[in-house]
Amino acid sequence: MKFSSEGKRDMNRRDFFKFSWGAVGVGALITGVGVSLAAVVRFLMPSVFYEPPQSFKIGSPADFPFGPPTFLVEEKIFVFRDREKGFAVASAVCTHLGCTVAHFSSDQKFHCPCHGSVFGADGGVQHGPAPRALDWFEVTQARDGKLLVNKDKVVPPNYRLMV
Amino acid sequence: MMNLIREIWQSIVRRDPLSTDKGKTELVFLNVWLHIHPAKVKKENMKFRHTFYLGFITFFLFLILLTTGIALMCYYRPYPPQAYQDMKDLQFVVFMGPFLRNMHRWAAHGMVICVFLHMCRVFYTGSYKKPRQFNWVIGVFLVLITLSLSFTGYLLPWDQLAYWAITVGTNIGSYAPLIGGQLRELLLGGHSVGEGALIRFYVLHVAVLPAVMILFTIVHFWRVRKDGGLSKPIWKLKDKKEALVTIGAPAQVAPLQAAAASKDKTYGLMEVVSGKPIFETITPEEEEDTVFSYPYAFVREAVVLMATVTTIMTMSLFLNAPLEELANPAKTPNPAKAPWYFLGLQELVSHSAFLGGVVAPALMVLALLAIPYLDRNPSRRLADRKLILWLFTIFVVANLVLIVVGTFFRGPGWALVPPWVHVVGGAE
Repeated sequence: MKFSSEGKRDMNRRDFFKFSWGAVGVGALITGVGVSLAAVVRFLMPSVFYEPPQSFKIGSPADFPFGPPTFLVEEKIFVFRDREKGFAVASAVCTHLGCTVAHFSSDQKFHCPCHGSVFGADGGVQHGPAPRALDWFEVTQARDGKLLVNKDKVVPPNYRLMV
Repeated sequence: MMNLIREIWQSIVRRDPLSTDKGKTELVFLNVWLHIHPAKVKKENMKFRHTFYLGFITFFLFLILLTTGIALMCYYRPYPPQAYQDMKDLQFVVFMGPFLRNMHRWAAHGMVICVFLHMCRVFYTGSYKKPRQFNWVIGVFLVLITLSLSFTGYLLPWDQLAYWAITVGTNIGSYAPLIGGQLRELLLGGHSVGEGALIRFYVLHVAVLPAVMILFTIVHFWRVRKDGGLSKPIWKLKDKKEALVTIGAPAQVAPLQAAAASKDKTYGLMEVVSGKPIFETITPEEEEDTVFSYPYAFVREAVVLMATVTTIMTMSLFLNAPLEELANPAKTPNPAKAPWYFLGLQELVSHSAFLGGVVAPALMVLALLAIPYLDRNPSRRLADRKLILWLFTIFVVANLVLIVVGTFFRGPGWALVPPWVHVVGGAE
């Protein structure tokens, strides 16, 4: 590498090729490492989840009593049945940090044991650190008459299924 | 026969007898495991009341964790519900199973405590100052790796505590901006804590994190050694000028020219690297305070090692590591508490998941990392550092208060309940 009178570097043919090869090498390295890292992250993201399906049948309407909600353990949902209004399904997963809330029939509210969040009868946050209301899920009647809950479809709290 | 034995021994150690100074030096020089030590140490810097040997203790606890951890791996299958059954086997069937598990548990808790106290010691003695700034940064990462190892280890028993601590913990992660949701999915290998999460936490706990820990520890020790070993005790920093000097700091002088050697003056490689002639690297009075590492330093290290192992073993004889009932995704214990060292974080989270769980911890870590670069005060003397000592003390006390509140003052539903009040029927 030569220096001109002003102290700037002058590049001759040989330097240019040296520089080019270097640039190609560094570029190849960065590309290779970048693609490999992306591949590793994608590898760690499972393509198949061995988890319960998001949409599932919970039984016949007659299985559910009127009055206090039925808590389904595996699905972590509350099934409400009202004589006039019909069926509604609420999530039992606290929106704060994922603990399972309990429904108290004494005050008709949902209470989270982890950090004391309290949700009203409509799922709205009344107390504690929860950032948003409990989810209500779509419930429909399948062709065989069973109730079908879809956790991927969040519905407004006033959603009801009349059977 | 004796000659043969002597010859074999010589071929292993390849040094002069330890009764000679040459032998004492060669013991360190020629041994790959010991040569992280200098051949000679400064007596004053090895004083107990300077470091309380907290770095040593932390490292020895890590060795206990490695050995007991490997032993426990022989009886553990990272798959629910076998994982929990294996814990029961370790508790009731495996010979010395409870003892090994107890040792692993108490050494882990001890390591969290000691790594924190070690950080405090390094801070209060100003040992993070130039040229050791970056070693402080590595140390902060070692604290974080220690906490990550504790966190990943917590899930493995697959009991109620494990399940809910990890549910809460990974949900905190999901509040991280932009990548939060994906980060959680990546960590859990699914959408909720299940078999995918268990195997991933297992891989992190037994392979990835220990490897990272070992690599960082090597760099940490190497840099301590290259910066002249342990820092000088603060009681030795008599006048202002001395307080500025950190032993082993690269001198603020023009570097020696390797080519400048003339016929009657040549410099060795070591002198070129340190930038001064060999006879100027140590003052006569420092030289007087210097002793051979063998036996002075090695005996002290051996005593600390034995004391650490004995303490953990004694604790493990009398205190059993808890194991709750099998993980039950349907039933959250009330109150659901994280391990004690995360209860400060949980206390913050109970006020706001994003501010307390993401912003506050991130700021705390950034502040710790930045300490050696923000603190431009070159003096290590306590009297010259009043402000920053106060700030750090407030930081430490705030963390302790949060942990105490989370541990003793939070009852069912995370309600504020003093420890002397007995809640009837609340906790289930």
